Amino acid sequence: MTPDLVDLTTQILNGIVLGLLYAIIALGFMLILGTMEVINFAHGVLFALGGYFALALQPHVGWWGALVLAPLGVGLVGFVLERGVRRTYGKDPLFGLLFTFGAALALEEVIRIVWSPRGYTIAAPAFVAGRFEWGFLVYSRYRILVAVLAVVLLFLVWWFLERTPYGAIMKAGAHDSEMVRALGIDLGRLRSLVFSLGTVLAGVAGVIAAPMWSLKPTIGAEAVMPAFIVVVIGGIGSFWGAVVGGLLLGTVSGLSNLLVPRGSILVMYLLMALVLLWRPRGLMGQKSVLEL
Amino acid sequence: MLGLFALFLLLPALLPRLGYTYLGTEVMIWAIFALGYNLLLGYTGLPAFGHGAFFGIGGYLLGMTQKWVTGGLALPLAAAAVGTLLCGAAVGLFVARRRGIYFSLLTIAFGVMFWFMVFVFDAWTGGEDGLTGINRLALLGYPLRDNVPFYYFVYAWFVGATVALWRIVNSPFGQVIRAIRQSESRARAVGYDTARYKWAVFALSGGFAGLAGGLYALARFGAFPEPMSLAQSGNVVLMCLIGGGFASFYGPVLGVVVFLVLRDVLSTLTDHWLLAYGLLFMGVILFMPEGILGVLRRLRQPAGFHDTAAAHAARGDEAATVPAPPGGERGA
Amino acid sequence: MTDPRPAPAPALEARGLRKAFGGHVVLDGVDLAFGTGRLSALIGPNGAGKTTCFNLLTGFLAADGGEIRLKGEDVTRLPPYRRARLGICRSFQILNLFDDDTVLENVRVAVPAMRARGFDCWTPAGVLSEARDRAARIVRLIGLAGRERVAARYLSYGQRRLLEIGVALAGEPEVLLLDEPTSGLGVRPMETLRELVQQLSRRLTIVVIEHDMDFVLTLSDHVAVLHRGRVIAEGPPAAIRDHPEVREAYLGRLGMPNPREGRA
Repeated sequence: MTPDLVDLTTQILNGIVLGLLYAIIALGFMLILGTMEVINFAHGVLFALGGYFALALQPHVGWWGALVLAPLGVGLVGFVLERGVRRTYGKDPLFGLLFTFGAALALEEVIRIVWSPRGYTIAAPAFVAGRFEWGFLVYSRYRILVAVLAVVLLFLVWWFLERTPYGAIMKAGAHDSEMVRALGIDLGRLRSLVFSLGTVLAGVAGVIAAPMWSLKPTIGAEAVMPAFIVVVIGGIGSFWGAVVGGLLLGTVSGLSNLLVPRGSILVMYLLMALVLLWRPRGLMGQKSVLEL
Repeated sequence: MLGLFALFLLLPALLPRLGYTYLGTEVMIWAIFALGYNLLLGYTGLPAFGHGAFFGIGGYLLGMTQKWVTGGLALPLAAAAVGTLLCGAAVGLFVARRRGIYFSLLTIAFGVMFWFMVFVFDAWTGGEDGLTGINRLALLGYPLRDNVPFYYFVYAWFVGATVALWRIVNSPFGQVIRAIRQSESRARAVGYDTARYKWAVFALSGGFAGLAGGLYALARFGAFPEPMSLAQSGNVVLMCLIGGGFASFYGPVLGVVVFLVLRDVLSTLTDHWLLAYGLLFMGVILFMPEGILGVLRRLRQPAGFHDTAAAHAARGDEAATVPAPPGGERGA
Repeated sequence: MTDPRPAPAPALEARGLRKAFGGHVVLDGVDLAFGTGRLSALIGPNGAGKTTCFNLLTGFLAADGGEIRLKGEDVTRLPPYRRARLGICRSFQILNLFDDDTVLENVRVAVPAMRARGFDCWTPAGVLSEARDRAARIVRLIGLAGRERVAARYLSYGQRRLLEIGVALAGEPEVLLLDEPTSGLGVRPMETLRELVQQLSRRLTIVVIEHDMDFVLTLSDHVAVLHRGRVIAEGPPAAIRDHPEVREAYLGRLGMPNPREGRA
């Protein structure tokens, strides 16, 4: 079946929206990875949790209220989680990974218990229901909103990292924790902050993604994989790497959905393998402590 | 070691015949997997995550070989082990130059990739339903359909694999990979191409995983995708940790026993055993990272300055510890 | 009558070595030549680039410019493990041992007889008598006889320093690089070390990075001084001791440092 122009454009747009979401998830993941060298396996389930919290909150505070509160709730969970991960700092990095792995399993089961394993659908807010039409293009209004929100969020994160002292401290913490400590900054609090921030990002992504797909306990596991790939492709430690990697992955994913629907997931991996062969540290990866 | 072999030899006689013979078989199969995996994790210090994929690939290779190439037993099993070893070698090319978190990240990615491949190529693999219709057949005329004969069939492989791994661990190769875990930079400084060794260990552990996976497919009369999922890939890691893979060669075996027994117990107690499983994971990491054997070793030492390396690791003084106890058993 | 044969190539030499990290230039065109059979010292104030130099010479860092020759052969692009096999071994400034292994195992894994059998997966390592004997000899040489079965982490600091050198020695190098071997040592281990180094210098080419001036001035044949990424002086110890630029590099304008000064 040859794709026509409308299909193509739609898929590309879908890819961009998806890519932006991937970028947000990957950024949160990468912040935690870069600053604390912990692979946060629970990142996916926290993404899902964002959606579920929104589901619970929406009837009470509306869509926008949920957009603000649900991620905060996720951040709180992240904060608690970090308390446990703390005990693995300084040991083999495997332990942090395994701890968050266990947490991911447990949390996913908790979701199943509280909300039941069935899928939920969340409706998009009323003011963006329906289609946006422009020439031959017919596109979901909600997805446009998602894209806008994502860009705003990415800008906020960028601004935080590059233009505030906290961001500078976070970046420094990733490279040289000794130095940070020597400057009198409480490393423990920094790590708490970073972890919570990372999980908040996952939560926000979960809230805005929820109306696009049906909400099931397993979407967490499905979301965490692309985050890994984005980080590998984009390079650890690079903001733009996460953004570019996310967009690349999203669009490639979208296009392959159109052209090779059954194998589209494998195309993601093919992309990853290609990038690794060409640039072993990722497209914009800097030499990090993780590689030595 | 002989004690271990004797125990497993006698088990079918001791256990009630009810479903426990099968459990014993399962223990041995996973023990092969875990011991081989510990070569990577405990000995070389490479935290591979996603090895469940190789376990699954072994099963599928056995099934596909049996169905489409030859109907026998030997060739499919060989295909499972060797084929998976080659897969491990291929993935190893990508990951061998990495270390630590980055290494883990990549192994996860590849593991999940294979998982997806099973579903995408479902004409070959049977997709979600799995590759059914695998036969246990007969070995030298002895039918293996029943649990007890099959148990001894697996037993033979278990003995073989354990002996092989023991030799590997105590060989010069074993010395080198242990050196790599303790200080990769020093290993390079004294003249070892560490990337090559890491690659070799990765491939080897893949081979053992494939053998175990093939045996598992025989055990279940089919190859299924579940063990390849990310969630289940964590199983083998947990097994190694609980038992004390960092502290002892036999840690993984103990871990397998504990894990499988717990799984059976938990799943009869509650529907939500995944929650308990997740909590168990977290608990072990927080409180007992050196595993049961590690704790026992620590308790056996007199208190004072001769603290064991395992205890040091648990307190975060150092990264992973000695996989064999200081002095004593090692073939120094 | 002058010897018509060309002079033998120095065991280890570097020409025009350059290394920068980000914008920060650490080595800016360094030329060094270490003659065969000599004991040379590489000194200089902290931050001068000495360890970076060692890292470049042994291949742990890639040079941004310049070339390195080992016994006349260009090794500039070779990775560390290849250089080790060609005959240059090093010890580390920050102790870099196999802490869970025993003293004997630490040394044995570095021995060429073991290295050659690296991929042997079947023979029990203890059976390799050549490797074991060679390792045992090294252990005796460094003064740790009787402690072969002690895990490295349980040794005293002085013993660990000696083991650090032992592991480098085990590879049967022709060129031995020692990075601050006396750092933090008490009197007795220091004596053992001095004797060891003196003994070794009769057979090997040794290059030592050191802050202990007494060690440098009394033991070495040749001294090179590194300051801010360049070699500012080179020659026999006596000439270096009185060299004005060297004094200035260490102390500003206050004169020569005491023998024990500048130790970590």
